[in-house]
Amino acid sequence: MTKKLPNFMFTNQFGLFCIVIIFVIIFSSITDGFTSRFNIYALSRVVAIDIMIGLAMMVVILTGGLNLALGAIGVCAAMFGGWCMETMGIPVIPSIFLILGMGSFLGYINGVITVKTGVHSFIVTLATMSIYFGLMTMLTEAEAFRRLPASFTDFGSIKLFNKYVSPLLIISVTACLTLFYLFKFTDIGRKLIAAGANPDAAELSGISVNTMFIYCHMLSGFLGAVAAIMLTTRIGAAIPSMAGQLGMDWLLPAFLAPVIGGTLLSGGKLSVFGTMLGAILVTLITNGLYLIDVGEFWIRFFLGIILLIAVILDKTREHFTLKSVIVS
Amino acid sequence: MTITLQTLLKKDWFGLLIVVILSGILITLFKPAFLSSFNLYVLMVSTSYMLIIALAQMIIISIGQMNLSVGAIGGLVAISFSGVMEVYHLSVPLAIFIGLAIGVICGFLNGFITVKSGISAFIITLATLYIFKGINLGITEAEPFYEIPSAVKNFGNAKIGGTPIPYLIIIPIIITVLMWVLMNRTETGRHMLAYGNSVQSAELLGISSSKVVITAHVISGTLAAVAGMLVVCRLQLGTPNIGDSWLLPSFAAPVIGGAILAGGKVDVIATSLGVLIVAIISQALVIFKIDPFFVQIFLGLMILLAVFINRYREYKQEASRKVFTHD
Repeated sequence: MTKKLPNFMFTNQFGLFCIVIIFVIIFSSITDGFTSRFNIYALSRVVAIDIMIGLAMMVVILTGGLNLALGAIGVCAAMFGGWCMETMGIPVIPSIFLILGMGSFLGYINGVITVKTGVHSFIVTLATMSIYFGLMTMLTEAEAFRRLPASFTDFGSIKLFNKYVSPLLIISVTACLTLFYLFKFTDIGRKLIAAGANPDAAELSGISVNTMFIYCHMLSGFLGAVAAIMLTTRIGAAIPSMAGQLGMDWLLPAFLAPVIGGTLLSGGKLSVFGTMLGAILVTLITNGLYLIDVGEFWIRFFLGIILLIAVILDKTREHFTLKSVIVS
Repeated sequence: MTITLQTLLKKDWFGLLIVVILSGILITLFKPAFLSSFNLYVLMVSTSYMLIIALAQMIIISIGQMNLSVGAIGGLVAISFSGVMEVYHLSVPLAIFIGLAIGVICGFLNGFITVKSGISAFIITLATLYIFKGINLGITEAEPFYEIPSAVKNFGNAKIGGTPIPYLIIIPIIITVLMWVLMNRTETGRHMLAYGNSVQSAELLGISSSKVVITAHVISGTLAAVAGMLVVCRLQLGTPNIGDSWLLPSFAAPVIGGAILAGGKVDVIATSLGVLIVAIISQALVIFKIDPFFVQIFLGLMILLAVFINRYREYKQEASRKVFTHD
């Protein structure tokens, strides 16, 4: 290599960005209506929520753990919000704070149990997933909250930028920037990463690893609640089945986005913008497959194949990408 | 080795056996109907396929991995099994053979991709979960197959002689015995536990990673296939959503049975008792007319409780920490 190429061209995100562009070109040339105003607006609403779900999983993957209860936390937070606004008549803004508090609290429980038992968070969150979801179903008797305040539900149907973009996407991008700042430039963010990368070393350097892990789970619950609020404003109601049985429908986007984006499953390395691009890629492909008309039943099949290809490519890409970048 | 109370107390399964007996007695005291022949029959039927599902997960836990696609394999096999009989009018043995073959292929794919890519089995099986489930929905378009031969239906309903024992439970019992032999008396089983305990040491001892991982996943896939077909016999139809709810129970029983998720320690007897405990308690909740949603909460709480008990025992045995289960 005679000329030195700029560093950014070797990052995961740049490669991912190129793939996104390629897919946009393919879909806009072979399908009708991919670039229509309606479709772009619809995409922006879906992608905003997928980014948020991806980020919520990412902060737990940072610890080397998983959060299977993410979908259940989201649904619980949404239903709690529905109860606050509809049954209790609490105004929208305080309700939002209560919903976020609920999400963080459920995440906190996950964190505490994981840390106290020393068991892998997979099994802890598998258990709490069914507990949260079961309690929610019992308390709400599986009834949806459909008469939410108009100011809350209208937010999801606002159209910005010449009616191309949903405000939900702005929230997601803001969340990405905030998390990037948190992990890149703040003391606490660096401590969270250190705890995930090498718990023993972190403990020896005076970081309370347990506290950091609990923070990560709380942050995950918080972001899950944000995603739930966004989903509730989008559908205009809080429905128990909004994330499928036990909230499991969130799992695929939750893992796809960070894994495609280059977050290490073993912990200690994360990519905020990679997660964002990963979520965009997944939404693009799903949308494109619908427009090509492969049939809704085969969509899952293709998403599975894409996840498989993505992780295998990611493995081979490791040789070429910069290892020194911890946060991106 | 002489069997004393001391040695018995150290077994994973001994405490569980006590729990099974005590809960049985307790429930019977409040509701004598628990021991009615109909109730015992229902209990055994639900235990029968849950046993195989739990063992399908347990074998993957033994090598320190997890298999999220157990339910998806079971579902795919279930609809293929009933589909080939309804659409192509194949004979039952041939349909069983096809079902098993699909289980073997799915398991092989899981193991092969995991080993060759070096990516965690969690992610690989999450991907194959969607692939298998996608094929399932693509084929069936979410419509069940109803026309099951009467031989299969009878097998799903029949009881042995005048006893409340269902025919369905015979295969699970045979499989449990075989699995016990595999894990405790064969080289392959030992290799799996060694691999689960420490991948590096196992490789240094000359144990082939790919052989161990692929074997374990093939067995897991085959067991998932058997479970899927048993559920078809039980339900008398092949619906695409068979297997959707297997994830939680498949982990519950091995974890209640003291399996360490990091690998290297599993116990077939304790896992079987774990299945029985889950079945008894779910049944009790039905008998006491408790909200069905509570069963879900209860299953979650049971897992957490088991995790805490295991943690406590580990803490007690820290000094003489055993690696393998000696039987």
